Amino acid sequence: MKCKRCRGATAAVDLPSHHAAFCAECFFLFFRGRVEEGIRSLSLLSSSDRVLVCVSGGKDSLVLWDILMELGYQTEGLHIDLGIEGYSERSREKVLAYSASRGKTPIVVDLRAEGIPIPEASRCARKTECSVCGTVKRYFFNRVAAERGFTAVATGHNLDDEAARLLGNLLHWHKEHLSRQHPLLPPSEGGLVRKVKPLWRVSEYETAAYGFLKGIDYVTQECPLSEDATSLVYKEALSLIEDKMPGTRAAFYFGFLKGNPFPRPVPAAEEEAAAGGTARPCATCGAPTFADTCSFCRLREKVRRGAAPRRP
Amino acid sequence: MIRVRIPQKNRELEVPGPRRVMDILAAAGVRPTTVIVTQGKRLLTKDMRVEDGETVEILSVVSGG
Repeated sequence: MKCKRCRGATAAVDLPSHHAAFCAECFFLFFRGRVEEGIRSLSLLSSSDRVLVCVSGGKDSLVLWDILMELGYQTEGLHIDLGIEGYSERSREKVLAYSASRGKTPIVVDLRAEGIPIPEASRCARKTECSVCGTVKRYFFNRVAAERGFTAVATGHNLDDEAARLLGNLLHWHKEHLSRQHPLLPPSEGGLVRKVKPLWRVSEYETAAYGFLKGIDYVTQECPLSEDATSLVYKEALSLIEDKMPGTRAAFYFGFLKGNPFPRPVPAAEEEAAAGGTARPCATCGAPTFADTCSFCRLREKVRRGAAPRRP
Repeated sequence: MIRVRIPQKNRELEVPGPRRVMDILAAAGVRPTTVIVTQGKRLLTKDMRVEDGETVEILSVVSGG
C-alpha cells in the first residue's frame, strides 16, 4: 500500500475511517493538522496560554505533550503518582525519561506522600478505584494549575475516550454529564482553571501510531485497577461497530458536539456542578466547590478515618 | 512459522507464513482497530505480508479507566 499523500513511500499507517493511508512523514503532518484543527475550531488554546499538561506515562498524554510542544505552546508536565504498586513506579519512570529527553522537569504529586494513595482511598471510601482516581486527579490538576499560574489544564482524552463516554452517558441518560461533555470546559470565577482536550479529533489508534513512529517510550501496560472499567465495555462496543463501519465513531461524537441538545452550564465545572450555583471556596482547603466541602476533602477525611486505629 | 508476540497479555503464538497482517490478527483473535502491529521499529499496515521466520508484535491501543 502506497502513501495516499506523497504517493511514493510505502504506507505505515492505514486509516479506513479516512479512506487514507500515510507514510510516517505524511502521517505526522496529518496528525498535527487534526490536532491543530481541533484546537482552532473550538478555541481551546491560544499562543499566550501557559498550559499544564497532565501526563500519566501512557501514550495519549505523552503524545499530547509532544505535539503541544511541537506546535509551540508553553507547556509544563504534571504527573500524579497514584500509589499503585509496580504500575505507578513504571509510569513515573516513563514520564521522567520522556521529560528529560525534552529538557523538561515535570511537576510530580505523590499520592502516598499526600496520604491518599488510590487503592487505600478506594477501600476507605467504598468506591471504585476509577471513581476516586477521577476525584483526586481533578483536584490536583486544578490546584497545581491555580497555584502556579497556568491558564489551561490539558488532558490526553482522545476521540475513542470521548465517544465511549458519550455512549455510556446516553445509555444511562446522564443528562447532567451530557451537558458538560465537551473538549472545552471554560474557567470559572470561583477558581476553576480552563480544561481542554486537544486530542478530541484523533483516535486511539492514530495516537498510538504517532507515539510509536515518533519513538515515544510510553507505558504499554494498562492500569491493573481499571480492568473492570465500564469505559472499556463501551469502547469494545464502539470498536465492534467501527470495524464494520469505519468512521462511525467519529460521526457519533462529532455529531453530538454539533447538535448537543443538552444545555451546557456556564460556568462548566466539576461533578458538583450538578448541584447548581456558582463555585465557592471549600471550607477545608479553599479549592473551588459547589458544596460546603469539596469532594476531595470529603474523600481525604474518609481515608483519615479509615486509617486511624479503632478505639478499643 | 511467524512468531507473534502480544506482550501486554504475556502471550505468544506461531502461525504459518507467509501471511498478511490482517490474517495474523484474525488468527490471534484480535480486532484490527484495537491494535498496532510492529516489526522492530516499523509499523505494519494490515495488508502487509509477513514472511515465514519473521517476528511481529501486537500492541493494544485501548486505554481504559
